[in-house]
Amino acid sequence: MSQVNHHVTGPQYWRSLEQLSESPEVLAQIEKEFPGYDPEQIRGLSRRRFMKLMAASMALAGIGLTGCRRWPEETLVPQSANPEGRIPGLSEHYATVMELGGVGHGLLAVSYEGRPIKIEGNPLHPMSRVTERYGSADALAQASVLELYDPDRSRGVVQGKGQAAKAVNWQAFRAAAPTLFAGNGANVAILHEACSGPTFADLRKRFLAKFPQAKFYEYEPVSHDNERLATRLAFGQVLRPRLHLEKADVVVSLDCDFLGAHPAHTRYANDWVQRRKSADRNRSMSRVYVAESVFSITGAVADARLPLKPSRVTTLAWNLAARLGVGGAKPVGELTAEEGKFLDALAADLRSAGKNAVVAAGSHLPPETQAITMAINAALGSIGNTITFLAVPDADRPTHAEAVAQLAKQIQGGGVQTLLILGGNPAYDAPAEVEFEKLLGTVANAVHLSGYYNETSKACAWHLPKAHYLESWGDARAYDGTVSVQQPLIEPLFGGMSSIELLALLAGDDLTGGRALVRRTLEPMLGGGGGGGGGAGAEKDKAFNVVLHDGIVANTAAAAANVTAQAVAQPNIAGGDAMEVRFIADPTIYDGRFANNGWLQETPDPLSKLTWDNAAMISKIDADKLGVASGDLLTLPLNGKSLQIAAYILPGQPVGVITLPLGYGRRDGGNVGTGVGFDVYPVRTANQWSAALGGNVAKAGGTYKLATTQEHHIIDPVGFAGREARVGEKHKSGIVVRETTLAEFKQNPRSAHPHGHGDLRLQLFDPPHVVAEGGQEKAFTEPHAWGMAVDMTACIGCNACVVACVSENNIPVVGKVEVAVNREMHWIRIDRYFKGAIDDPNPEVAFQPMMCVHCENAPCEQVCPVAATVHDTEGLNTMVYNRCIGTRYCSNNCPYKVRRFNYFDWHSLDPRGGRFPAPWLDIPDTQQNKSVNPIKAMVFNPEVTVRMRGVMEKCTYCTQRIAQAKIKAKNDHLAGGRPSDVLADGEVLTACQQACPTQAIIFGNLNDRAATVTQLHKSPRAYSVLEELNTRPRTQYLAKVRNPAESLDAIPAGAGTGQAVGHGGAGGSGQHHAAGAAASTAPAASPAATKESEH
Amino acid sequence: MAETDPTTPTTPTPNTRFVFPRWTNYVLLILVVGGAGGALYAPVLAGLGFSPKTTSVGYAPVQPVQFSHAQHAGQLGIDCRYCHIGVDKGPHSTIPPTQTCMNCHVSIKPESVKLQPVRDSWASGKPVPWQRIHDLPDFVFFNHSAHVNRGVSCVECHGRVDQMDVVAQAQPLSMGWCLDCHRQPEKRLRPLDQITNLGWRPPAGEEGNALAKQLKSEFKIRDANYMQACSTCHR
Repeated sequence: MSQVNHHVTGPQYWRSLEQLSESPEVLAQIEKEFPGYDPEQIRGLSRRRFMKLMAASMALAGIGLTGCRRWPEETLVPQSANPEGRIPGLSEHYATVMELGGVGHGLLAVSYEGRPIKIEGNPLHPMSRVTERYGSADALAQASVLELYDPDRSRGVVQGKGQAAKAVNWQAFRAAAPTLFAGNGANVAILHEACSGPTFADLRKRFLAKFPQAKFYEYEPVSHDNERLATRLAFGQVLRPRLHLEKADVVVSLDCDFLGAHPAHTRYANDWVQRRKSADRNRSMSRVYVAESVFSITGAVADARLPLKPSRVTTLAWNLAARLGVGGAKPVGELTAEEGKFLDALAADLRSAGKNAVVAAGSHLPPETQAITMAINAALGSIGNTITFLAVPDADRPTHAEAVAQLAKQIQGGGVQTLLILGGNPAYDAPAEVEFEKLLGTVANAVHLSGYYNETSKACAWHLPKAHYLESWGDARAYDGTVSVQQPLIEPLFGGMSSIELLALLAGDDLTGGRALVRRTLEPMLGGGGGGGGGAGAEKDKAFNVVLHDGIVANTAAAAANVTAQAVAQPNIAGGDAMEVRFIADPTIYDGRFANNGWLQETPDPLSKLTWDNAAMISKIDADKLGVASGDLLTLPLNGKSLQIAAYILPGQPVGVITLPLGYGRRDGGNVGTGVGFDVYPVRTANQWSAALGGNVAKAGGTYKLATTQEHHIIDPVGFAGREARVGEKHKSGIVVRETTLAEFKQNPRSAHPHGHGDLRLQLFDPPHVVAEGGQEKAFTEPHAWGMAVDMTACIGCNACVVACVSENNIPVVGKVEVAVNREMHWIRIDRYFKGAIDDPNPEVAFQPMMCVHCENAPCEQVCPVAATVHDTEGLNTMVYNRCIGTRYCSNNCPYKVRRFNYFDWHSLDPRGGRFPAPWLDIPDTQQNKSVNPIKAMVFNPEVTVRMRGVMEKCTYCTQRIAQAKIKAKNDHLAGGRPSDVLADGEVLTACQQACPTQAIIFGNLNDRAATVTQLHKSPRAYSVLEELNTRPRTQYLAKVRNPAESLDAIPAGAGTGQAVGHGGAGGSGQHHAAGAAASTAPAASPAATKESEH
Repeated sequence: MAETDPTTPTTPTPNTRFVFPRWTNYVLLILVVGGAGGALYAPVLAGLGFSPKTTSVGYAPVQPVQFSHAQHAGQLGIDCRYCHIGVDKGPHSTIPPTQTCMNCHVSIKPESVKLQPVRDSWASGKPVPWQRIHDLPDFVFFNHSAHVNRGVSCVECHGRVDQMDVVAQAQPLSMGWCLDCHRQPEKRLRPLDQITNLGWRPPAGEEGNALAKQLKSEFKIRDANYMQACSTCHR
């Protein structure tokens, strides 16, 4: 079979529908390095005027004789007494925990001279561990450190509301407390966010001892409580399912986003990847089926995905149960051909995998639906193997929706004089029918303890500042029940108090400090010293210190319950032809509590790549029906109200479903968060909490500007023609994503790669750095040669690396307006490629994290007029900020599009400030005079330069971490502490690598033969992106391996295939054929491959 | 306009296009004045640019406490590392906490007026705000431990602090000055036991060269290419 030049009309892998249809805008985007950048248009500044000004400033520069002493005077302030063992300038790590929605995430906080600057995962924590050396923390946890230094945080106690609101101090509240909380507490109610820690439970008991009639209610807007109802139905007791994906051969997810939205997603992602990376070791992989009513990252990495309406998920679950003969379930409803085939394939796989299969159900699904999946697991025998059910400590509480309804009833009945709200923001996020804000108005004394003066605080008579979790003591239970200790790293910046301290104060506890409270609760759990006496106390102290060091109390994980499945009654299935709506926690700002976090607002959504806003995700088919394009406003009648929200066409979105991410449209969300996106809580009722039947969705007229990064920094098939001429016909060019299937991989490990090699003699770039004089190739002979491997099989697109990089490298937030013109500063971007035809309802997805690949033969270095980007001897492509004069030639010449330019001093500007007014013309330059807010500046990593405007920047492979590790190793070596000063494998972790829960990013020393990265570079899956340019990147990518069921191979995934738009390479089987990959090994079996060869 | 109306008769005028305009008469004057000015300007600019005032050599701000290094390190012979404890462990040569002063001054000269700020700091817990003297730009990352543990003495950058009553900056701390040493480190090395002996001199002649060579290999100091790579100091 001859391989022919496959210059197809459209790209096979595409970033956006616009790119696929080759819209002029996107072509312009690819064409121009700095699209949207037109100085004349932006500034109203003519070239002539600009030259005049520049000439004048040149002339004035000398006369000004800028500064006789170069730097502003600084003071050095040592502590008056140095804590033992602290060396200023060296960072320290402390174990702590962040609680989110009642689940603790085990973290390590990095403290630099007393201020926490970065959040990492705790390797000793069972739910965060990735390897012995490091753990992973998700994007939300990592970004929480920015919240600590948010200048918008509440600064003090506020009494009164509206006009009468006045700042008072804690004394005023302490004085008022006895009158607010009096008697037996009959008129007192407490509404709190989910608090799983034993100390909170203990203080609740103490509070109730003092006020026996007081009522506690727990509320979370993103709730997993249907799971509790489901386990009660299935097993007669409230339990928490825990998957063990590392043991699962077949994973079936019914609307369960276990890699993304699940509270245990870090653990699950790591478990899941064990059975994906096993493709290399023993040529076996798990197979993941996902039927889902949204487009989640779990669906994106599934081997087979079935987009469905929410109501059809229930149908599918019961039909699956019927096929497997579980619990007398009978088939319900009619299945479409696609659903039938999907079900056939997965039922067959489930049967053959038996107890090594697992069926996971989304926690939002109706209890009966979840219960039947539990019955299926029981029938498969997987309970106890691939899934266990853990006991929960608070089994008897009402669900969150019930609790808030009960509270509303109590308030309406006049039974609440004093309402204490601990955390949360119910005025914004409570179910719509409760009308919580109105209710609050009827409560005489509402007291809100909150980190921000937000919607709820405004409606309360008292607002108390809440201490951040990095400022206060506490504890929480992890998803598996492990008691984890929250250890503060800094005194409260704004005088806040934690929930437990406030409860202790109100309960008249004899202990007041958070540490003492936590210690008292943990005392019985601490090992050592059984029977009193001074010696035992010392033992306990020691044990407590061990707990603080580890961050967890050992052996406190919940035990797996013994369960027997009960029969589950078949439910009525609602739904029909109407549009359906799904509410989801936003992947970046969760339920809205992170709305004021610029890092998270600017992190692109994993699939839509939207920044800053939410939008109604809608399928192409529905959008065409309604005649809307992305950005057009929709009217959505729901629950008697009407919601107006911008539409966003997401390829792969289930047809007939509109997904509404929660958390946006905050009314009092702080400077960053207020008014960003659309508030969908007003149409979310307790009855239709996660899914709703929508009415007549219609186009509203009007548009809304959305800022998406999906087309930014496209790695274009740079001038196809030119490249084809260079690399020759034999070689396919421009293929950035390579993938294969397990079946083909087994036959030929190199099946992901195209045949043949390009002609590397005809080069675009001379290799200056690797050729020494005399034409001899000079290798990088230092003991270290840094390199990286990125495994696309493992990447799930979760964004943890993106936020880690932002946090580590002082990357600024630029704001929506600037993102829209291509100016986001993220050094690492996760390219999300779709593969499929334009109206394919179920395109495949490949995630490709892309950052500077550190070419040995770097195009950027060849064009820099001032040598501001050059190689060091260990192979790093270094970026020297102080040399850079901002020509941006390097960025223009970078084929990977990974360089970012500082158009402004982003750190000192307000990301919500809109376009900045003519900053060049202000004399004296306001840019220079503005400095970074000192509170915001506390989050900076002092090991990394804060770049100024006019400077180019890019990924450095975390050169600061390399330097630190090398210095430490050399010092230790000279002191006799280690045999060699060469770093061992894994001694340096880049920030992205450390954050990655699936070890998709591996960094190390390529001159170390045993290093993991060296092994991975030798893998048959390894390839260099754009290798035909001979840039010799130090980052190699490992081709994606999918494991689709053979029986599903032939399903045309919906109506659309290539012919619809005439994209030869784009359509095809739609299931697994890799880009230019499989064509050679498998004879041209699929129509797509045939078409390619005909071209 | 170059063309003339053909209907009206014209007297031939001299073609002014090829005659220098009048203002060119001043060109020579401007050149002379400008040249003279430039000739004056350039040395002034260069002189100021490289003057110690710009490079801060000799910068000796008034400190909140009149602490004399000459007395403590010179006459009393206290080792630098008694106070600057972090110097061989971390990036900074740490300024001592008040506690370090009070170790001795609780009993030595406990009444001294000059020590009042120190006693105040110790009583209140507020630090003494020392004026920073040696200040590198924020894009330069200098690590003390990497130098001090590899035979580079304090004196190479800080001068004879043991002879200074008031500490002043001794070296320009410019990039060229850093590179002088990074390119030829062997000239500045000494045995580790002499690191804080600011008066130490290497043996003269061949013996000194041999020692330098030996120290360079002992400390595993790499070649100039490695030492002057940008990432060595810039991150």
